Amino acid sequence: MKQKGPTLLSKDGARSVLAALLSILIGLAVGGVVIVITGLATPTLGASGAWDGIRLELLGIFSTGRNAAGALTFGFNSTNLGNMLFRATPLILTGLSVAVAYKTGLFNIGAPGQYLMGTAASLMLALGIPTGTVPAGLVWLIAFLGGILAGTLWGCIPGLVKAFLNINEVLACIMTNWIAANLVTWMFDGSDFRNLVENTKSGYIYKTTFNGVSTAKLGLDKIFPGSQVNGGILIAIVIAILMYILMSKTTLGYQLKACGANRHAARYAGIADKRNIVLSMAIAGGLSGAGAALYYLSGNTEFFWSTYQTLPATGFNGIPVALLASSHPIGVIFTGCFMSMLDIVGLQLTNLTAYNEYITDVIIATIVYLSAFSLVIKMLISGRGKRRSAGAPAAPAEQKKAPPPEEGPAPAGRGSQSAKGGNEA
Amino acid sequence: MEAENIIEMLHITKEFPGIVANDDITLQLRRGEIHALLGENGAGKSTLMSVLFGLYQPEAGVIKKNGQVVKIDDPNDATALGIGMVHQHFKLIDVFTVLDNIILGAETTKLGFLQKKEARRKVEALSERYGLKVDLDARVEDITVGMQQRVEILKMLYRDNEILIFDEPTAVLTPQEIDELMATMKAFAKEGKSILFISHKLNEIMEVSDRVTVLRKGKYIGTVDTRDTDKQSLSNMMVGRPVQLEVVKDPAKPGDTVLRVEHFSVPSKTHKRDSVHDVSFDVRSGEIVCIAGIDGNGQTEFIHGLTGLEKGQGTINLCGQDISHATIRQRSTHMSHIPEDRHKHGLVLDFTLEQNMVLQRFREPRFQHMGFIRQGEVRTYAEGLIEKFDVRSGQGPVTIARSMSGGNQQKAIIARELDREKDLIVAVQPTRGLDVGAIEYIHSQLVAQRDQGKAVLLVSLELDEVMSLSDRILVMYEGEIVGELDPKATTVQELGLYMAGAKRMTKAGESA
Repeated sequence: MKQKGPTLLSKDGARSVLAALLSILIGLAVGGVVIVITGLATPTLGASGAWDGIRLELLGIFSTGRNAAGALTFGFNSTNLGNMLFRATPLILTGLSVAVAYKTGLFNIGAPGQYLMGTAASLMLALGIPTGTVPAGLVWLIAFLGGILAGTLWGCIPGLVKAFLNINEVLACIMTNWIAANLVTWMFDGSDFRNLVENTKSGYIYKTTFNGVSTAKLGLDKIFPGSQVNGGILIAIVIAILMYILMSKTTLGYQLKACGANRHAARYAGIADKRNIVLSMAIAGGLSGAGAALYYLSGNTEFFWSTYQTLPATGFNGIPVALLASSHPIGVIFTGCFMSMLDIVGLQLTNLTAYNEYITDVIIATIVYLSAFSLVIKMLISGRGKRRSAGAPAAPAEQKKAPPPEEGPAPAGRGSQSAKGGNEA
Repeated sequence: MEAENIIEMLHITKEFPGIVANDDITLQLRRGEIHALLGENGAGKSTLMSVLFGLYQPEAGVIKKNGQVVKIDDPNDATALGIGMVHQHFKLIDVFTVLDNIILGAETTKLGFLQKKEARRKVEALSERYGLKVDLDARVEDITVGMQQRVEILKMLYRDNEILIFDEPTAVLTPQEIDELMATMKAFAKEGKSILFISHKLNEIMEVSDRVTVLRKGKYIGTVDTRDTDKQSLSNMMVGRPVQLEVVKDPAKPGDTVLRVEHFSVPSKTHKRDSVHDVSFDVRSGEIVCIAGIDGNGQTEFIHGLTGLEKGQGTINLCGQDISHATIRQRSTHMSHIPEDRHKHGLVLDFTLEQNMVLQRFREPRFQHMGFIRQGEVRTYAEGLIEKFDVRSGQGPVTIARSMSGGNQQKAIIARELDREKDLIVAVQPTRGLDVGAIEYIHSQLVAQRDQGKAVLLVSLELDEVMSLSDRILVMYEGEIVGELDPKATTVQELGLYMAGAKRMTKAGESA
């Protein structure tokens, strides 16, 4: 009996991974079709341009430019890999934000707003506290925690509204998103943090390095020279692991999931359902805020403050990151990296071929869109497994006669069979 | 002889991972008969009917209609063959009207426009003919469960089905509604419709059916003529051992007062009148007190008020503490609660069985350390309960609760609640939808708890259960307690009069 738990887990886990890989493949294939069609239809590209496009779509992360003969070259590219990790950092955290909320039965579409509030708080703290009197490391920590706190508070609003007024969190999230967008613009509009030193950059906020604050590199710049990577990615990975532990090993995670899966039953069992709904959204908001803090405290990013009525894509991209990972916190690390890799691939396509940035966006969006179908694909895989085992010849007689609940090995055996699509009958 | 059977299911085998739900089962339904399918929870009755209705494909076996082999791939095929089914949990759209629900999927249209008038005439005629009273313009969410079932029956009639499957139709009905349903089924049979009646209630089967097929643990046990058998032998066939149909218990030895309810009211959410009005009573240790009444007379609201799921006014004293304003968690330190709605309150359906087993207890040091769940302890504990209470499932403690049969879900809840060892056990319809074996077990458990000195507050709609299990009966009518009866000194008829509101006691305890 005891060994059945892990078997079932790995069965379901294996299915999720398989589904994610399949949907990525489908996404890449359809993206490839778009590349070929636009390539053949564009005189400047043609068949050879399309071939370059396909190779970059699949291997863009290893692209090292073009050689003297004008052919694409591939190899280890520390800049690309490092930048991929750098861009993955906020995506992993917004992905976690969506995933954790989803595990507790809430759809956190408010990640962009929480991300913006986190951005504003951490930038203001990082630029506002004089590093002359306070050590830069401490300022960084205060700014990081401030970003998390701002995201947490912003996430609480839809949580409170849901818990006490029973208003759908999706509506509340969308509204708080726009409030955040305008609020942040207004706050920076009157602030001293606008970049007035470089007169071409008046729409931007200073980089945090202006105040001497930036995330420690932790030696990652040695491994990936020429890239923007820093210790933020390690913090993101640690947070993902902590979230995994929180959700699956602790009583708090158990309560949060119980409230999400059946609020009435949780209440019946004496679990404070309202508190837990607010808490779920607070945690989700804090994660988004952490993502923003890590991105803008890196020292090499600048915030375009006149974001008047636009929302950060990083917030929304948390949704496909979470979906592709089936909301598994550890999976989010990998899907976050995959999404940022697509970013790099897009850059390579624009830089090295005649595909312009618009069609590149279409291609990347196609891949992202189809990747998010992993849940559907998982259902298809499960359905196929069921049909396979149904079509298989009946189990041996002695197995059939055994009383169903007590027989340990039989279910486990059948379980692994359906997980592998019936290959091991 | 072949043509006598309208439907034959021959040597049907259906497997699920870890379980053979149907193992070589043969069922022959004659034209114009009411054929009961009897078996314990998880015996494979619902699976067999789902095979007939096209929801599952069997691994082996054939289905014949009028002697011809037919293939039923999905419910549409079943409908085309004239097979209709009333599911245990109704398949209705809550926000649609009754009429819309009935015609859904079989709409009469002209040039793409709905012809509701025609449909209404047909439904009204059917409703008239069989005495199936429904309000065609009411929304399904606003009508009673009994009326919802009549809507399901009308759906089958509207589609001119000749083979009607009823999957545990009486589980959700009041005694009066059950009588009406029985009469309706007999009327259908008289007209030549063939009925498959899935149940584990022996009274009903004896009353209404012509023949009975018994299944046990997925196997075919036999088919008997109802007039050649009796309740005891049917239950022995079903359970596989002699079953005690009557509750055996010694006279109660009531001790100290455990629960005292004084002037307790629960305001109604929809009406100005209170759902529960000025209720006062005591429950002492070592006795089973039953709140009897027809469904919808305030029992649900009272229990919600008592357990803290809803707010009430008045005083509740439990084990010497005033819990009138306590939280659910505080109340549960002395109270366990077997809830009425096992899907809404009793279980987190998407959790595993073991996770459900510790729904209240996960905070205890035994199951957690510094906020981390002790997974091994939870598993061991769940395995112990599964063993002790014979909870059957496909994969033991890691089975998802949703995939378990209704009876075993209920057993899991009862296992969890009784094992918490609280002074007061609130059991709301604890045996609803269960088979005789399980009912026998739950009744004996409740009596055992009583004999250990626990106070048991039972809410039941089943008169048999009320009469045989309780030591004291409180009758609730329109939110008030209208009588207190001694089951040994009263009759079912007298109880019925109180339940119907025809009789009531004055506060002094004299009948008026």
